[in-house]
Amino acid sequence: MKEVDVRGLSCPMPLVETKKALDSEPDTITVLADSGTAKANVVAMLKDNGYEVAVDESVDGYTISGTRT
Amino acid sequence: MIVTLLGPEREFYTRVRLPLSVMLCIMTTYNRTKQRWRVGMRRKVGIGATAWIVGGAGLFIGAVASWLVSQGNPGNMGLCVACFLRDITGFFAGVATGQAATAYIRPEIIGIIIGAVAAAVLTREFRPRGGSATILRFVLGFIFMVSALIFLGCTVRAWLRLAGGDLNAIWGILGIVAGVIVGIVILKQGYSLGRSKKVSGILGWALPALAIVLLVFAGLAAFDSRPTFTTQTTQGAFATGDSPPVVFLKEDGAIATVLRPDGAIITAEGSVVAATGEVLASAESVSNARPQPGGRRAPLAIALIAGLLIGVVAQRTRFCSIGGIRDAILVRRYDLLFGVAGLLIGAAVVNMVLGQFRLGFENQPVAHMDILGNFVAMMVASVAAMMLGGCPFRQIIVGAEGDFDGFAAVVGMLTGAGFAHWALLASSAKGLAPLAWPAIGVMVVILAAIAFVSRRNGAISRG
Repeated sequence: MKEVDVRGLSCPMPLVETKKALDSEPDTITVLADSGTAKANVVAMLKDNGYEVAVDESVDGYTISGTRT
Repeated sequence: MIVTLLGPEREFYTRVRLPLSVMLCIMTTYNRTKQRWRVGMRRKVGIGATAWIVGGAGLFIGAVASWLVSQGNPGNMGLCVACFLRDITGFFAGVATGQAATAYIRPEIIGIIIGAVAAAVLTREFRPRGGSATILRFVLGFIFMVSALIFLGCTVRAWLRLAGGDLNAIWGILGIVAGVIVGIVILKQGYSLGRSKKVSGILGWALPALAIVLLVFAGLAAFDSRPTFTTQTTQGAFATGDSPPVVFLKEDGAIATVLRPDGAIITAEGSVVAATGEVLASAESVSNARPQPGGRRAPLAIALIAGLLIGVVAQRTRFCSIGGIRDAILVRRYDLLFGVAGLLIGAAVVNMVLGQFRLGFENQPVAHMDILGNFVAMMVASVAAMMLGGCPFRQIIVGAEGDFDGFAAVVGMLTGAGFAHWALLASSAKGLAPLAWPAIGVMVVILAAIAFVSRRNGAISRG
């Protein structure tokens, strides 16, 4: 279980932070994002790495949960 | 320990237990390696469905940009964020900045902002945010613009120029690659402008509000009732390379009306003379005159609608003109690189179909042939864009999504454009301005200073 907070970060930091977290090959990962761009990029990266992705939207942003398939 | 074992126990260890352990160890390692290799392969490739979507977006934007040239936009400038923002500055401040040739509210910019706002609001991605070194973002936008005007185009137009056959753009594109690499080195030092935070809604609507203001002025100008303080390049105007230039309109391919200087007369052999008889432009100079960029434009409605579509597509796909090379090197993601490839292909194909493709270095529209100037200017622009977190096109899109820092970068670009023209730093077809190199030196020092003071904000953790 890994948690990454990329809220408020400019590109490419959301992807860099997520990639760093993926290096330890966690079974589940949660990424907190607050821009549509970060959300879309992180979701694409998780999917391409073989994770099943669910996005939960709230007023503070997005909670992206990835579970390794 | 084994040496202390005796008889059957020792035999058991050497013949059964040891080989079993070794085999187990090999199998586990093999399985783990296989698993890692599989995951590694998946990661290494990094080309998913989104790459093709962004590629399609690039294809669309490139094709529309080339088509806009056929509708009246300047050559290889169907879409140029730097040039178009510069023209907007010229409209409002052209008298002070000396931008008679580059003054026009580009409806494409209005369209892009409104299209992106609409897409962001409809998908609930409009989120007012800001406060990530807003002032520094203004400075970075300013520097981006000045260096883009030394190259003569932004990071989008660099690709569009190549797609039109302008080989001088190659030096600019190499500059983009070099700038991205320098930017990555800066990021690896832990560079960050800090996190943005939620801000009040009013700040989030800053760029959309600017778009509405621009729309009002564009409407006034379209009905010939723009305020007197504004400047607008006459549609279809040509300018000679003389100092001061002779500006005129053509009819049937020949000089027909002189717009400036006042009182100038066209002679029978096609030269332009002052009332005193002094030759202002020779016949040769008149025939070599180039169209003023601000005077070449697609009809307002067409430009506006094209901008709207581009804005929607760019917001949805996150198209970025520098992110492609950056992500490919930094995180082995190729989505945005597909976008840039699409832009190049889409623009090149439409240029060829419409007969706008002209391969070569010489006489390219709104371009110069200074190799080092093209390379270094685009490199500086790309470093500034890397430090902003995206190309100028992206700054407009994020500004439209409610990012006040993106708005600050756009205002920095508008201001930088006025400064570049006022301080005579912008290049011309002849080449770099005399002050261009000192300006590049100053900009490099400022970029280095910003990179230095923001180096340990904890972006990429070291080690």
